[in-house]
Amino acid sequence: MSSDEYFDFVVSRTEDMYNIVQAEGHGSFWLVFIIGILFGAIIQYTRVDKFEKIAGFAMGKDTIIPKMLFLAIGLTSIALYFEIKMGYASYHPKPMILSGLIIGGIIFGIGMAIMGKCPGTGPISIAEGRIDVVVGAIGGLFGGFIFTKYYDVIFKPLMGESYGKTTLVDVSGDHATLAVFVFGIALVLIAIFIPRMELFDEADLSMLDNNERPDTMALQEHEKFEVVK
Amino acid sequence: MTRRLPWWLGGILMALLLLFSFSVFGADRPIGASTYIPYYAGIIFGMDPKDYTYLQEIEKAGAWEGVMLFGVFVGGFITSVFITKTFRFSIVPTAWKVYKNNSIISRLSWSFFSGFLLIIGARLAGGCTSGHFLSGMSQTAFSSMIFGGVVLVTLLVTGRYFYNLEDSK
Repeated sequence: MSSDEYFDFVVSRTEDMYNIVQAEGHGSFWLVFIIGILFGAIIQYTRVDKFEKIAGFAMGKDTIIPKMLFLAIGLTSIALYFEIKMGYASYHPKPMILSGLIIGGIIFGIGMAIMGKCPGTGPISIAEGRIDVVVGAIGGLFGGFIFTKYYDVIFKPLMGESYGKTTLVDVSGDHATLAVFVFGIALVLIAIFIPRMELFDEADLSMLDNNERPDTMALQEHEKFEVVK
Repeated sequence: MTRRLPWWLGGILMALLLLFSFSVFGADRPIGASTYIPYYAGIIFGMDPKDYTYLQEIEKAGAWEGVMLFGVFVGGFITSVFITKTFRFSIVPTAWKVYKNNSIISRLSWSFFSGFLLIIGARLAGGCTSGHFLSGMSQTAFSSMIFGGVVLVTLLVTGRYFYNLEDSK
């Protein structure tokens, strides 16, 4: 491919991206874009994209990630169940590809602990100026290239066969409502009762006034926190 | 105006956003955030979808997430500049300096390697923190609970042994 051809290829594939989304029926380009803005803003505003939050959780020094994650899942699981009952949404569960889930989960967990990001929080950290995450993204793009190139010969066989797309709602039959409530409430309670621990980054807080700093508030609310400088 | 959103408010807002995305008024699909990487890689490395079965499989999901992640980037930039005041250029995270080392080379090579692992892992499992944890477990899918359990354990074990947690105390 010459450089002209390459340029045309990139432009036409980018146009494809726009056209596919417009034609697919899962929201217009602008709606999907706005969902992204909100997703990025919520994560950035709570600071859960930070290395100190994600790697800090891996180190056992910060629990904001599991608290926020389990609360969101618990609330959504119950509300989504009723949203679907009313006919306003449907389930789209992912297949149980057992070896893919386990091997992939292990590789993903190792990567997440070291990178201190995941694929959704990475772009947010890049947007706020983290150079190391740009390098991580290049590694990720290289990973995407390798995965695509060797999908048929290596990765597809490694993922194993699918055991269906079963959910808790499917298997509990008549007791689905009860099962969803137990599941959702249990997750919300876990979120509330996980002890709150935080690892703050001084560089992240230095621009704030004293009364805006979360670590001064943490001093009154809970004991387990640490500021790294 | 508060400069940091508390975790519980963040959790509630995230739940509302997920419910909106799932609903027919929104996108009628779950939020995911790892398919876009091989999709972008396909564009950047000049891979024609005709030649790669994987690119054909992810053609639609990749495009949707590709657009969403543009938004994520913009949203993160706006709040970091105007609300949290955290926009600045940095290379080595502070906690990495305290609990690992001061070396830029070390951080950047580990970044490249772990970024690579993140995407290989997520694509093997068919999802990441967004697609499996947030969206998948909200649908009470067993696949996502298995992934979630494996990731939690691996994450905590890796964090325990990768960083020097004893020396710095």
